Amino acid sequence: MKNQANPWLTSNLWVLGLGMLPAILLIGILLYFTAWAFAFSFTDLALVGRKSVEWSWVGLENFERLFTRRGFLESLWTTVIFVFFSAIVGQSVLGFLLAAALRGSRSMLRSVVEVCIMLGWLLPDIVAAFLWSATTAQTGLINQLIITPLGLPPVNFINDYALPVVTIANIWKGTAWSYLLFSAALDSVSREVVEAAKVDGATPLQRIWLVQLPIIRPHIATNMLFITIWTFTYFPLIFAMTGGGPGRQTETLAVFLYNQSFARGNLGFGSAISVAMLAIVGFLSLFYLRLLREPK
Amino acid sequence: MESTQPSRLTAIALTFMAVIWVSPFSWLILNAFNPLSTGQLEIPSVVGLDNFGEAISGNAGRQFVNSMLIAAGTATLSVVVGISAAYPLSRLKIPGRNAFLWALVLLRMLPAAGVLVPLYFTAQRTGLLNQLGVIIALTILNLPFTLLLLKNFFDTVPIELEEAAYVEGASLFQIVTRIVLPMSRAGIAVVWFFSFTGAWNEFLLPLIFARVQDAFPMSVGLYAAFGQQGAINYGFLTAFSIIYAAPAVGVYFLLRRNMNTGFAGVGVKG
Repeated sequence: MKNQANPWLTSNLWVLGLGMLPAILLIGILLYFTAWAFAFSFTDLALVGRKSVEWSWVGLENFERLFTRRGFLESLWTTVIFVFFSAIVGQSVLGFLLAAALRGSRSMLRSVVEVCIMLGWLLPDIVAAFLWSATTAQTGLINQLIITPLGLPPVNFINDYALPVVTIANIWKGTAWSYLLFSAALDSVSREVVEAAKVDGATPLQRIWLVQLPIIRPHIATNMLFITIWTFTYFPLIFAMTGGGPGRQTETLAVFLYNQSFARGNLGFGSAISVAMLAIVGFLSLFYLRLLREPK
Repeated sequence: MESTQPSRLTAIALTFMAVIWVSPFSWLILNAFNPLSTGQLEIPSVVGLDNFGEAISGNAGRQFVNSMLIAAGTATLSVVVGISAAYPLSRLKIPGRNAFLWALVLLRMLPAAGVLVPLYFTAQRTGLLNQLGVIIALTILNLPFTLLLLKNFFDTVPIELEEAAYVEGASLFQIVTRIVLPMSRAGIAVVWFFSFTGAWNEFLLPLIFARVQDAFPMSVGLYAAFGQQGAINYGFLTAFSIIYAAPAVGVYFLLRRNMNTGFAGVGVKG
């Protein structure tokens, strides 16, 4: 607050402080609860039964179980596949291509495509799950429109290709975010720069790859950061569509965490899973933030 | 400028994609308007609004009101608390404020199930296992994002304008309400919209907080209706889904112009 000489601020510091108070209070509660969740991960607390009252400290036992018992590592792998294909490859590449293709056009087409993509994003998770279960069902749209006319027997997609189906459903649902962000980013690239590149003989592909992409690099990193983390902890869509099944094919970490904490009632072990997830998310974020900061 | 218009091939590809994107809705709409719906994908022999009538009466109507209360309450509370803290955060050079805000956002990435247990215990002890409790809990969970986004938007308001207003004799309150808020209207709309849809869609928290059926929001209601094994009333469920999806879609189109400008601020380095 030293190099500041804004009298309307400095003479009203107590008002500003008072304004911040509710937020400070609520953030304090959030921090307190998070600390509580951390503490749970060192206990054998359960949701019901004797251990919901007489729990005890068990040290690092929960964290050992992450690596010694089946479940966590398998879920981690499922999550990595899900995040890579649905968020990084699907949403962000598709979102960028759409933004680049629609850039600058004020036509009807842009509005129509935008509205279509937004519908997926705006749809509540549970409705989206309902919709995609119906679309991929044996009597659903894909079978009736593509598989049966080809003379093939109907496929029960949600059973036979569970992970691809939830991956596609998530691309369908989430692409709008990447599209909007890239669209805003491309709009901020000044027209002169692109025109200059064009005059110098750059092909459309070169204009995107060598001119626009480097300029919007911070936006790309921000987008990656957000969608990776969201997808990593995304729960309702997969849970409502498959519940993690069949078997454990679609049991991502978020579903694994729910099943352990609330279906089986192992709150202690569940907290250890969320702490591990936080560590992974934190590591990924640092990686992206580095990408964001480092100018090329 | 011919280069900014998409070529015919691109236009066809884009149209094709738009069609694929909306095609899953066909099933939803065909069933919702079919009073004799069986959950199959078929052209209805009778078209009627009976399903919608069912989906807004009785329990279902009550759930709509509950969802609306929770979503509007959460969004408004988040924005009010957020603004009054984000303006000082943006203007006062508090050391480490950016790192702190980012740390909070990362912390919030902790899967919600992690903080659910402490939230539940606390709400139980303070008698807040109701709508108000859900609103406060969701506001707490929203706040890191709200603060970061609002602060970024306030940062883009030039301080010179505020100086000029101060010289003209404006008070702090006038500066904030006449200059800062109008100029960051787009950003505030985005934040309000995010909080609204987030709370509207929220499923896990109300599921645990809502003890009686009267307090269910639509997400929990829809989930519960799924769970009733046996004869699933597809006509009712699809109509209910459409009504459930409508407000988020509607609010988006109301705020659409603000949204697109507001999004530019999200990408700006925090």
